[in-house]
Amino acid sequence: MKVKRLLKRNEFYVALIIVVLSLLIHAKSGQFFTANNLVDLARSLIVPGMMASGLFMVIASGNIDVSFPYTAMLCMFSITKLFQIMDYQGPVILGFILAAVIGALLGAVNGVLAAWLKLPTLIITLGTCTIYLGFTQGVLKSSVISVLPAPLADMANTNLFSVRSAATNLGSSMHISIFLLIATLLIVGFIMRYTMLGRGIYAVGGDPVAAERVGFNVKAITVFVFAFCGLVGGVTGLTQVTLSGMCQINFFDGYEMTIIAAVVLGGANIAGGSGSVFGTFLGVLLMKLISNNLILLGIPTEWSKLMTGVLIILGVCVSAYKMVSAERKVTSNILKAADGEEAAHE
Amino acid sequence: MKKKLMSMVLCVLLIAAMTVGCGGQETPASTGTTSETESTDTADGGESYTIATVVKDMSDPWCLRHQEGVEAYAEETGYNCYVKGPSKTDSAEQIQVLENLIEQDIDALCVVPIDPEACKPVLAKAREKGIVVITHEAEGFEECDYDLEAFNNQEYGEAMMDELAEAMGEEGKYVTMVAFLSSTSHNQWMDAAVAHQKEAYPNMELIPEERIECEDNMDMAYNKAKEIIKKYPDIKGFLGASSYDPPGAAKAIDELGMTGQIHAVGTGVPSVSQPYLESGSNPCVLCWDPALSGKAMCQLAVMILEGNEDQIQTGLDLGIEGYNSVTVDGTNISGNAILVIDKENMADYAF
Repeated sequence: MKVKRLLKRNEFYVALIIVVLSLLIHAKSGQFFTANNLVDLARSLIVPGMMASGLFMVIASGNIDVSFPYTAMLCMFSITKLFQIMDYQGPVILGFILAAVIGALLGAVNGVLAAWLKLPTLIITLGTCTIYLGFTQGVLKSSVISVLPAPLADMANTNLFSVRSAATNLGSSMHISIFLLIATLLIVGFIMRYTMLGRGIYAVGGDPVAAERVGFNVKAITVFVFAFCGLVGGVTGLTQVTLSGMCQINFFDGYEMTIIAAVVLGGANIAGGSGSVFGTFLGVLLMKLISNNLILLGIPTEWSKLMTGVLIILGVCVSAYKMVSAERKVTSNILKAADGEEAAHE
Repeated sequence: MKKKLMSMVLCVLLIAAMTVGCGGQETPASTGTTSETESTDTADGGESYTIATVVKDMSDPWCLRHQEGVEAYAEETGYNCYVKGPSKTDSAEQIQVLENLIEQDIDALCVVPIDPEACKPVLAKAREKGIVVITHEAEGFEECDYDLEAFNNQEYGEAMMDELAEAMGEEGKYVTMVAFLSSTSHNQWMDAAVAHQKEAYPNMELIPEERIECEDNMDMAYNKAKEIIKKYPDIKGFLGASSYDPPGAAKAIDELGMTGQIHAVGTGVPSVSQPYLESGSNPCVLCWDPALSGKAMCQLAVMILEGNEDQIQTGLDLGIEGYNSVTVDGTNISGNAILVIDKENMADYAF
C-alpha cells in the first residue's frame, strides 16, 4: 500500500530523474559526487530555491506571478545603493529586514490588484514588473555596484565551512546564506502543511467559489500569497548580492520562466490547488542540475539552450501525463459507478 | 455594473502606470531638445553643430565614461553635444531613443549599437534626413557614413591572446567566453585570438567546448567558469570578450582556491575587475577608453559636417590620444587605442 502511494506521488518521479541524471553526470565526468561539487550545487540552489518556494504559494493559490525577479532586483539595488550612500556600518540584518518590508509591500500591490480587479494575475504582474523595472532604472538610476558596502561585503565573505576534493584539489565554501534557504523552505512548508492559512491557499487554488462558501477569506489569502512571494523575493535579491560580491541588475534576467518551470516540474499544478514545498525544492534541484551540468555532460554551447528546453518539456510532460491519467481514472470510476447503477436498475 | 466600471477605471490606471514606467526612458530625450535650443553659439563664432551620441546602457559606468568624453568635447569646441541611451542594455529601447532623436533637429548621430542589424532601418531613415551617422563597436556596418573602432578587431584579439599567453606561461588549456554567440565583435576578437594562438603559441590548447556564452552576466560567467574548471581541472586560462567574463571567471578561480594557477584575461573595466586585479586572478584586463572614442566619434562627425570628408584617409590625425594615425578602409576607420590595465595603473581609469 505504502509503495503504491509513493508511486502515485509526483515527487517520487522527480527524485528518480534527479538520481538518474546525477549518476549520468558522474559516469560522464567523474566529477559529480565530489565534495566540492556538492557544495557548489547546494550554493547554486540558494537563490532559485528561495524564489521558488515563495512562488509555489502563489501557484498553489491558483495565481501566477512573473514580477518576483523584478521585486528582487529593485530591493537588491535600492538597499545596496542606500547602504553605499549612507556609508552604513551596522549589522547586515537591517538590510534584510528592509528588503523584506519593501518586497512585501511590492508583492502586496500585486495581491491587492489581483484580489479586487479579478483580472488574470499574469497580466497584472506583467504590468507591475514593468513598473518595478522602470522604477529601478528611472527613479533609482540603476548602475553596476562592484564594491559593496562593508556589512554586505562582510557577509559575502562569511562561509560556514570549506571543502577540498582530493582528486582535483578544487575547493568550495558553503555560504552562510544557505540558512536563509533552509529557513524559507521550513516556513513555507510549515504554513502550507500545518496551518489553516495553508489549507486555505490550497482551497482557493482548487476552487475559489467553494473556498469562499466554506468560509475562507479569499481576498485576504490572495493578498497574503503575493505579499509573501514579494517578501521572499526581496530577501533573495539581497542574498544574491552577498553571493556574487557585486550588484548587477540583470542577475535575474529570465528567472521568471525558469522558476515557474521549476515549480511546475516539482509537481505543483499550474492551475492551483496542489503541490508541496518538497516537490518544489526537487523541481529547482532538477532545473539546476540541468542548467549547471551541461558542460560536464559535454553538451556544446550551441546546443545548451535546446537541451534545457527539451528537458523542461519532458519533465513537465511527465507530471502532466500523471495528472491526465489521474483525471481519467476519476472519470472512468464515475462512469463505472453509473454503469453499475444502470445495471442495478435493469 | 458599478463593479465593472470600477474595474475598467483601474484597468486604465494600470495601463497608464505601465506607459509611465516605460515612458521614463523617453523623457531624457525630450529634455535634450530644450537644452539644444538654448545653446546655438559656438566658442569660435563658426557654425554650430548639434551632435547626439547614443550609448548602449545609461546605467553602465562604461557608458558614463563615454558621456564624460563627449561632454569634455562639447566644452572644448562649444558644439552642442549630448549623450542619450536606453536605461538597460535593450536593443528595442535603444531604437526608440534613436527614433526620438532623429525627429529632432540634429546634425550628426554617433551610435554604439547594441544590435547593429536591428538598428539598420532607423539609421537609414536618419541618413535620408541628411544626418551624419557614425557608429562604433560595429565593424563592417553599412548603414553609416563611417564606423570608427578604437582598434582593429583582429589586433585586439591578438593582443588579448598575448596577455593570456604571458599569464599562462605560453602553455596549457584555455577556453574563450563571449556574451552571445551572435555578438559580432566578441566573436571576431575570439576568432582572431584563437588563430593567433595556433600560430604563435603551439603549446597552448583550446578545450573542445571552445566558446562559452555568458550573456553579459557576471553570475553566469562565474557559474560556467566553475563548471569548466571542474571538467578540466588542469585548465590554465580563460579569455573573456565581455567585460563581465574575466571578473566572473576570476571569482570562480578564487573560490575554488586556484588563484595563481588559473588566469582570466580579456575585456574588462577597472570598476568591476578591481578585486580580481588585486587577487591576481585577473593578471590584467584590456579595454579602450570610451571617453576617447566618444570624443573621436564627435570629431569625425564634425569633419564631415565641415565638408572635410576628403581628408579622411589612412594616417589622419584626429588629435585624440590613440587616434593620432587612424587606418581607413572604405567606411571602416580604426585607431590604435588598446589599453592594458593591471594592478599598477588601474587607479588612473575611473570607469
